[in-house]
Amino acid sequence: MKYVVLMASLPPLGSLLEAATPPISRLKLESRLGLLEATDLHTLEQIANLIAWPSQPLERTDAAFIVEAHRFLAANRNPTLRSLVTQRLDMRTIVAAFRRRRRGEAQPPTGEVWGFGEWVGLIERNWSAPTFKLEVIFPWVRQAHDLLEEDDLIGFEKLQFSVVWAMLNRLGAGHAFDFEALIIYLARWSLVSRWSCYKGETAVVRFRELVDAGLANHRELFSGVAQ
Amino acid sequence: MTNDTSILVLGWIGIYAPVALAAIGASIGCTTAGQAAIGAMMEVSSGYGRFVGLSALPSSMSIYGIVVMFILNRPVTPANSGGLFGIGLLSGLAFLMAAIYQGLCCASAISGSKAKPEIFGLSLAPAAIVEGFAVFAFVFALVAAGGIPK
Repeated sequence: MKYVVLMASLPPLGSLLEAATPPISRLKLESRLGLLEATDLHTLEQIANLIAWPSQPLERTDAAFIVEAHRFLAANRNPTLRSLVTQRLDMRTIVAAFRRRRRGEAQPPTGEVWGFGEWVGLIERNWSAPTFKLEVIFPWVRQAHDLLEEDDLIGFEKLQFSVVWAMLNRLGAGHAFDFEALIIYLARWSLVSRWSCYKGETAVVRFRELVDAGLANHRELFSGVAQ
Repeated sequence: MTNDTSILVLGWIGIYAPVALAAIGASIGCTTAGQAAIGAMMEVSSGYGRFVGLSALPSSMSIYGIVVMFILNRPVTPANSGGLFGIGLLSGLAFLMAAIYQGLCCASAISGSKAKPEIFGLSLAPAAIVEGFAVFAFVFALVAAGGIPK
């Protein structure tokens, strides 16, 4: 029942690519999560460790990560949470394969654990195929390949966000006031937060460029005066 | 326990079931909607009254249960026990489920209208539809009770 209080206290996130900032701050969100019990917080932390890509520690190997994923799936029987984790890790595996191939690996990795899930073998067998022959199962893979071919990395990132957002919409159907709904809300919040950060970083870069350009004009002006 | 006694027990269960089950359902429904109201009040700075008022909507089921109980209430005999049990238990289950789901509808209405106050009226529609189904169960329980021997 605490989930009802929690979910009703959270603002709607709106659509993914339109929000300039998340409608609730991280600080406020963490304070609301204080309503959860320790077991729920533990599960939440486990899921975050598996699906929150930017917060992955660099020293953690893929093999260690996959062991952790299997441990979570063995311990957790909730079908929605299991689907959430497996679908995100499937996507991560495909993106990892694209990135490896893009940096020049002509053959699939051998002698190391590099991916998770049932599609690893298929990807390895079809390493040279543009979409790893996955486009029937994952229709977004064709578009992802095209974007990478065009060197459109922002578009590639945007595509990943959109695919995950749609996946969360599917998984969230039928969950309004339960733990699954909360996890899906947090996953969505994380996407909105990251996307708005990207925009912020772009703004900072642009601002610096403008400042540098302005200062360069002044330098030319003053150098002209000195002469 | 003899067969007659067992049958009489079923009759008594039938008389009290509507109010008991409806009260259980209303408690659950009001709790769900009430918790949503508390959650919404954490997020907004005005309009608390309508959230609390909406969270009380599932309590109407217990009123239907009380009325059905009064209609069914009569001396229990082997001839009328079966009818009392059937109508009482099934109408009670209908009120129970309607109250639980109406509570969820109210919770969703509260959660939705806290962000968009202009949809408050429209967001009540699902809860009102559930209420309509409960009214069907209520009215036809009264109609069917007319056929049970006194």
